[in-house]
Amino acid sequence: MAEDFPEMPENGSRLRLIRDVLDSQMVDRRHRQSGKVDGILAELREDGRLVITAVENGLPEAVRRVSPKVGDWIAALGRRWGVRKGEIYRIPFDKVRRAGIEVRIDLDAEATPLLAWEKWLHDHIVRHIPGAG
Amino acid sequence: MKPRKVLQVALGILTSIGGFLDVGAIATAADAGASFRFSLLWVVLIGTICVIFLVEMPGRLAAVSKHTYADAVRERFGFQFYIWPILAEFVVDFLVLGAEIGGVCIALQLLTGIAFHWWAIPVALAVWLTAWLGTFDFIENGVALLGLITLAFVAGGIVLHPPWGELAKGFIPAAAPQEPAHYWFTAVSIMGALISPYLLYFYSSGAIEDGWGKKDLTMNRMVAGVGMGFGSIVQMGMLVTAAMVLAPQGIQVDQYGQIALTLVGPFGEWGYYLFAVSLGITCFGACMEQALETGFVVSQALGWNWGESKRPVEATRFTMAYTLSIAASSLLMVIGIDPLKLTLFSMALTAVMLPLVVTPLLVIMNDRHYLGEHTNGWFTNTVVGLIIGLTFVMALVAIPLEYLGGG
Repeated sequence: MAEDFPEMPENGSRLRLIRDVLDSQMVDRRHRQSGKVDGILAELREDGRLVITAVENGLPEAVRRVSPKVGDWIAALGRRWGVRKGEIYRIPFDKVRRAGIEVRIDLDAEATPLLAWEKWLHDHIVRHIPGAG
Repeated sequence: MKPRKVLQVALGILTSIGGFLDVGAIATAADAGASFRFSLLWVVLIGTICVIFLVEMPGRLAAVSKHTYADAVRERFGFQFYIWPILAEFVVDFLVLGAEIGGVCIALQLLTGIAFHWWAIPVALAVWLTAWLGTFDFIENGVALLGLITLAFVAGGIVLHPPWGELAKGFIPAAAPQEPAHYWFTAVSIMGALISPYLLYFYSSGAIEDGWGKKDLTMNRMVAGVGMGFGSIVQMGMLVTAAMVLAPQGIQVDQYGQIALTLVGPFGEWGYYLFAVSLGITCFGACMEQALETGFVVSQALGWNWGESKRPVEATRFTMAYTLSIAASSLLMVIGIDPLKLTLFSMALTAVMLPLVVTPLLVIMNDRHYLGEHTNGWFTNTVVGLIIGLTFVMALVAIPLEYLGGG
């Protein structure tokens, strides 16, 4: 079904950010599941225009939408012990290629913090257990 | 039918084992038969119809949109809503997986005489090893094939020559013949054991694992019907054997050892072993499902790479999620919590959280972004509406009835 969906709208057309982008599954250039869109970042420019600049990924950002305080706690835990150090990863909006059911990002997720935990678990735990590969 | 299509029914049977034949369903069916003979068969029948609809829809969603139910709920309702059913699901999964591990341990206790809590760690290791080394195909086909042993309950029910007239009357909804609080508590428990949130999450994930597409929609309906029908018939067999064996002796079910007597009636000493093996196999299957489901739900909630058909190195967060869930739940049995009490408690908790999980179905299954031309028709929507109403009633009465009729 996802293949039937249109590319991101052209300049001047409308985009339903909450319905079609926020909380959507992100898939990278190599079709790897790369997290959900946990937040959307907009910037208010001097000329009064509101410009969408990035989509965000990071559990603290998603949780902040429910409770800012709990989100901050999770971010603090992440900074202390997390592989991503509590970082909210921002993907420039011009890398977001497709909306609809999925959001395609024009990046290799492996080269970004999006798959940092996946790689850390692979290198430090999973690959050392017999039968993992 | 092509062999592949025949094998696909395995997903239905595997799913139905977690719904109809797990540790909770065995306990409630036996209690229903022992306490009220055939009068609660109608609840199993209504539960079966609900469950067929509740698995067909997420199966259709997955086949058409390639998205699971968990994906769709987060995407459509947002993280602010999704966090609540998902947190509730974590708690319930943790308890139910503990109870299912307990079911396998009880089966081993019945076979060996060694106390169940000693088996907790070996059973947890066996569940983990199967998940670690096995593929989804291997697990669904293996459990479905071994699960056929539970047909012994159907055979047992027939061998005992039940009074067919009285049995048929049991399919007609009726008020409590005696002990109304216990009767309705048992009715809600049967429904609570059947309609579990795991069905929606697990079946849609299984459909993705099996690579279903739009061409598989007819098969999805068939798998939902045949798989759930299988579970339902076996559960009715359990209820009937309990009604024929336990009720006349006035045995109330408060231990799994007493449920074993149900098959001793029709099959003598062999029945005892048959019961233990059936309990062990179905609970082991349910353990696999619960553990994988925890991995599926966490991964899908956070958008991770997931899949039991992938090698562990290809989906490390998913494999670690089920590994941790098996380890945590097995501790419940290591410390010696009674699996039967844990089961009854988890079923009441499941009933309370059901509306949160089932209500989004009505929105998602009518969303053309996901389903295109395959959205629900008016009939299915009416049935879902009735099921949602039923889940609200169950959520309201489950805890009060547990106090009034659970003892």
